[in-house]
Amino acid sequence: MGLPKRITGRVWKLGNHINTDILHPSPYFSLNEARVKEGLVEGMERLGANAKRDSSDEGLIIVAGENFGCGSSRETSVRGLRSFGVRGVLAASFARIFFRSLINLGLPALECGGIQERVKDGDLVLLSIEEGWVELMDKRRFPFSPVDTHIKKILEAGGLIPYLQRGERRERDEI
Amino acid sequence: MLEGYTGKIIQKHSDGRREGEYHAVHVDFVLLPDPTFALLLSELKDSGSRIWDKEKVFVTVDHFAPPSTIERANIAKTVISFAKVEALPHQSVYQGICHQLLIEGPWLRPGMLVLGADSHTTTAGALGCLATGMGSTDILYTLMTGKTWLRPPKAVRVDLTGKLPPYIMGKDIILDLLGRFGEGGFRYQALEFYDTDGTILMDDRFAICNMVVEGGAKNGLFSPDQVTENYLKERDGHSGDWENFSREDFHYAQKLTIDLSSLKPKVALPHSPGHVVDIEEIKGEGIEQVFIGSCTGGRLRDLELTARILKKRKIASGIRLLITPASQKIYQEAIEKGYLQTILEAGGVVLNPSCGLCGGIDKGILGAEERCLSTSNRNFQGRMGDPSSRIYLASPLTAAASALAGRIIDPREVM
Repeated sequence: MGLPKRITGRVWKLGNHINTDILHPSPYFSLNEARVKEGLVEGMERLGANAKRDSSDEGLIIVAGENFGCGSSRETSVRGLRSFGVRGVLAASFARIFFRSLINLGLPALECGGIQERVKDGDLVLLSIEEGWVELMDKRRFPFSPVDTHIKKILEAGGLIPYLQRGERRERDEI
Repeated sequence: MLEGYTGKIIQKHSDGRREGEYHAVHVDFVLLPDPTFALLLSELKDSGSRIWDKEKVFVTVDHFAPPSTIERANIAKTVISFAKVEALPHQSVYQGICHQLLIEGPWLRPGMLVLGADSHTTTAGALGCLATGMGSTDILYTLMTGKTWLRPPKAVRVDLTGKLPPYIMGKDIILDLLGRFGEGGFRYQALEFYDTDGTILMDDRFAICNMVVEGGAKNGLFSPDQVTENYLKERDGHSGDWENFSREDFHYAQKLTIDLSSLKPKVALPHSPGHVVDIEEIKGEGIEQVFIGSCTGGRLRDLELTARILKKRKIASGIRLLITPASQKIYQEAIEKGYLQTILEAGGVVLNPSCGLCGGIDKGILGAEERCLSTSNRNFQGRMGDPSSRIYLASPLTAAASALAGRIIDPREVM
């Protein structure tokens, strides 16, 4: 695992106050990954979202507005995004449970205002977490808010549980 | 800087480690409702870890209660089997909605740090706890370690002053705040309520803390006072010992005052709990269904006031009135006190306690373009059924009055 230096993906644009009930409707709550993914597809339809990819190898990068992911704590919404190929999420701001869940599952969640108007669905963008910017189609770079040290450690480990296990291994090595 | 009572609780629970803005803290209690607990169970088993302290967790089957599909039956079964095999001392199957059971149980006291695998865990803040919801992976971390990482929030002090009118409930108070500050208006903040005159009853305090999350707050709490102490005494037979640092002079990023006497009944319009208007602006709006229940609006006081409105009256023809008490205990008390008899005579239908209706999981699902006035917490698009259905949120008084009229009305018209 670990965090790649650069992440590329096609933009999937969403608005303000997108809640987890619409992103991933509750009837699709499941322990089955394929079913969870179907829920995300249904959510996209309800949102009128239009995530375009040229090939299934391409990743997606969400560009959302304010308070992204508000509402229910059901982590199936984030798991759905992950299995759908979302590699990073940029939002003007995040709802706190959703933010934590993205990070906990190893998905970079980055606060970045001002780019929502500058991108459209399907744009290819490039992210550098280390250097703190996103590069848009016109090669212009926009900074996102600095990533907290704790959050960075979790992302580098690949998620919260790998972060915990890495810490435990380190403690054992020290003994 | 650590702010408010919330900051004090974080400080008291710190294990000394800090990374960036996050503090590692000990957790006192964890709430584990069926779906979100099931989501972490295979990882918990695979990790070879055990729950750090079985006395400090409470497992509920309340979302799929009872299950309505084979898949849900199997999810609930996973949870029930795990609780049995591990011999977890605190578990409940179908006895009520997790947030209500958590406060009915003997576990929580002011000053405790409580997590739940459900966003409405904030409800327990009414007991003076720092209580907040998290996703399954965060909860898994806590089950493995007894700890979590918290970023201390900015705290907002809300003083509730003035005489509480008989037509205003906790629901109207929180809707007022959500309307003024918007969905996400309190993102990452702690809302700390001071009821200086002790006029807000516990059931209303629970409804208020339940919905702080709709404003994006990390947690909401009531500064512990005589009302809290009386509740704990009645619940446990004694007030117990709890560390009372509520009288300290805390720092707050912001201070607000709500004059209760000036409030009017509120309604949140589709599709946002922050889209709030005074009842005058929406009254007359047609509805097909009224739902009185959930972890926000299904407590004894909610059913008492519903029954008071419905007494010796009939709901309008064409209206479906659905009731879910928040727990079996409330259900029984509402039977003993005659509230449910009154509701049934008026034409209401009583369902068992569960998250089903509010979460669009089962029963009372809305069809295309149907409109429901609900005492629950979220009116997001499609939450209770068809994506074209519409949900309005209001107090149990407003909901009961509107069931009589067959359209949204001001409860003062029938009080």
